[in-house]
Amino acid sequence: MTIEGNVLPLDRANVDTDQIIPAHYLTGIETTGLGKHLFAGMTGGAELLAAHPDASILVTRENFGCGSSREHAAWSLVDRGFRAVVAPSFARIFFENAYNNGIAPIVVDDAAIDALLAAPRLQIDLEAETVLAPDGATFGFTLDPLRKQFLFSGGYMAFLAAKRDAVRTWLQRRAKGQLVQET
Amino acid sequence: MEMSRSDLQSKPRSLFEKVWDAHVVEELAGGNALVFVDKIVAHEITTPQGAFEIERRYEDKLFDPARIIAINDHVSPAKDTETAIQAKVLRDWAKRHGIVLYDIGQNGICHVVAPERGHVEPGSTMACGDSHTCTLGAFGAFALGVGTTAQGGAMLAGCLIVQRPKVMRVTLDGRLQHGATAKDLALTVVATLGFKGGTGYVLEYAGDALATLSMDERMTVCNMAIEAGATTGLIGPDETTFSYLRGRENQPTGDAFERKVDGWRELAADPDAVYDREVRIDLSALRPMVSWGTNPGEAVPIDGAVPANADAGSLRYMDLEPGRALRSIPIDQAFIGSCTNSRLSDLRAAAEVLRGRTVSIPTIVTPGSQAVKRAAEREGLHDVFQDAGALWTHSSCGPCLGMSMGVLAPGARCISSTNRNFPGRMGTGGRVHLASPAVVAASAVLGRIASPDELAVEALAAG
Repeated sequence: MTIEGNVLPLDRANVDTDQIIPAHYLTGIETTGLGKHLFAGMTGGAELLAAHPDASILVTRENFGCGSSREHAAWSLVDRGFRAVVAPSFARIFFENAYNNGIAPIVVDDAAIDALLAAPRLQIDLEAETVLAPDGATFGFTLDPLRKQFLFSGGYMAFLAAKRDAVRTWLQRRAKGQLVQET
Repeated sequence: MEMSRSDLQSKPRSLFEKVWDAHVVEELAGGNALVFVDKIVAHEITTPQGAFEIERRYEDKLFDPARIIAINDHVSPAKDTETAIQAKVLRDWAKRHGIVLYDIGQNGICHVVAPERGHVEPGSTMACGDSHTCTLGAFGAFALGVGTTAQGGAMLAGCLIVQRPKVMRVTLDGRLQHGATAKDLALTVVATLGFKGGTGYVLEYAGDALATLSMDERMTVCNMAIEAGATTGLIGPDETTFSYLRGRENQPTGDAFERKVDGWRELAADPDAVYDREVRIDLSALRPMVSWGTNPGEAVPIDGAVPANADAGSLRYMDLEPGRALRSIPIDQAFIGSCTNSRLSDLRAAAEVLRGRTVSIPTIVTPGSQAVKRAAEREGLHDVFQDAGALWTHSSCGPCLGMSMGVLAPGARCISSTNRNFPGRMGTGGRVHLASPAVVAASAVLGRIASPDELAVEALAAG
């Protein structure tokens, strides 16, 4: 599976989820329609989006998505058409939320980010785990071997649903004191 | 692969590893594991979407409603139609499934209500669609803030998928003095590790100083683990923990409770446990801390100044310059509240500063729960605050995240006992300085960043 698209270069570190979507937009009960609030809490956010109206790949600096657990950050990116975020590092909860919503969180080093911020367009091969820039430069990355399936099928909930019987069995064993750890 | 009893006994383990091992249902690819969740805390902002997913695609079947508590907390009572709908969805869902619900009149911030109602047990696992769930690590629980989908998965199948974190031991020596509080310790940890320095780690607190910290203080310390990017914070249970839980609702009484305590006493790190990283902090050296920038790691002792190497973007947003003395910064509003600092001891600390004094700027005091509110009022703290000219409100997350009850105007500068000073966090364009309740109270009196000892000096001079 390949993600090919235009880049939105966000040359900032520590972009927190309050900047991605401020809390006063978290008053809904659905996961859709949040793209219009993307980067509403970010100085210059609206201008950046206007300059890259059809971007589907966000390239940014370290610790992207830190702060609040709000999955609305991922939902607003999805609604706006983003399919990948490329950064040197992610905050844990956003990283998980990205996988669970079909946004590929691509980790490459700082030097690669320097190059990719300048690329107008990228090709990301999720199977080969490579990012290809228009000038031919290629950067490798590693996806989480478990979570990458959620990118293709969106199946976090389906994955867990299939585990329910196993979990109940485990719980019965715990209740009977049959787990080694429960000594 | 299951370890044998002898393997487990021979390998020394951290406290985190013990709690983890006791909850792994299945090892998964990539260092992930299926981790059983003993209790889920569900609030109105992040729960409805997951509840709908289960209703639409999984016949509305929850794994075990008895393992869920629901709390309307972020905007309660509702401020408008949308937030009223959020609360109604959570309320109706809880009632439909027989889920324990804390609603208007008996609610509060979920991280305050869950422990105060006896729902947080040592050695257990907890999940909530809220990043400050790490607060509950103060009880020796592995408490994880997660997204809506992950919380929904736990509601559906009783488990989270968790990438096994590394463990950092944060050893605390000495005791808090010189006006330093648990909040100053929490800010020091973030400033020491850096804003993302804890990413991938559980912060397992250790050291002799822990015994001197109350449960309220431990919750404040664990609450800000997420601000260093950490997976969560964790403090081993001791007599302080057991005393807190003894007699709480939702806990058994008498021998049944003491038998649980016997089990909890086993929950300690083995002496030879190996950690991925070690950090030591001497509490005796701490001073009151105040943030100057736009992330919680950008904080310095109150006697200090904005650093020479301060981030240009942070300076621009905060309208400050390097070398500016913190005590010289004028403040427009003060807020005491949030899951970091809104428990009874926090309110007492603020009241001690405000007693007999008058605030010079708009000041809002928001207790962490209705139970905290009533306890504070039994001590007359509401009179102290209101006599000083502050607003005493019902419990809520309030302006901490810029949703209600004191949102900042653009450019307004607030000193706040909360946990995040991100751009726009407390309102579009608003500027936030994080500090302890006592420092917020002193600043409210003087209208600039100030510590309580300055007021004592003034009183002496006037004396």
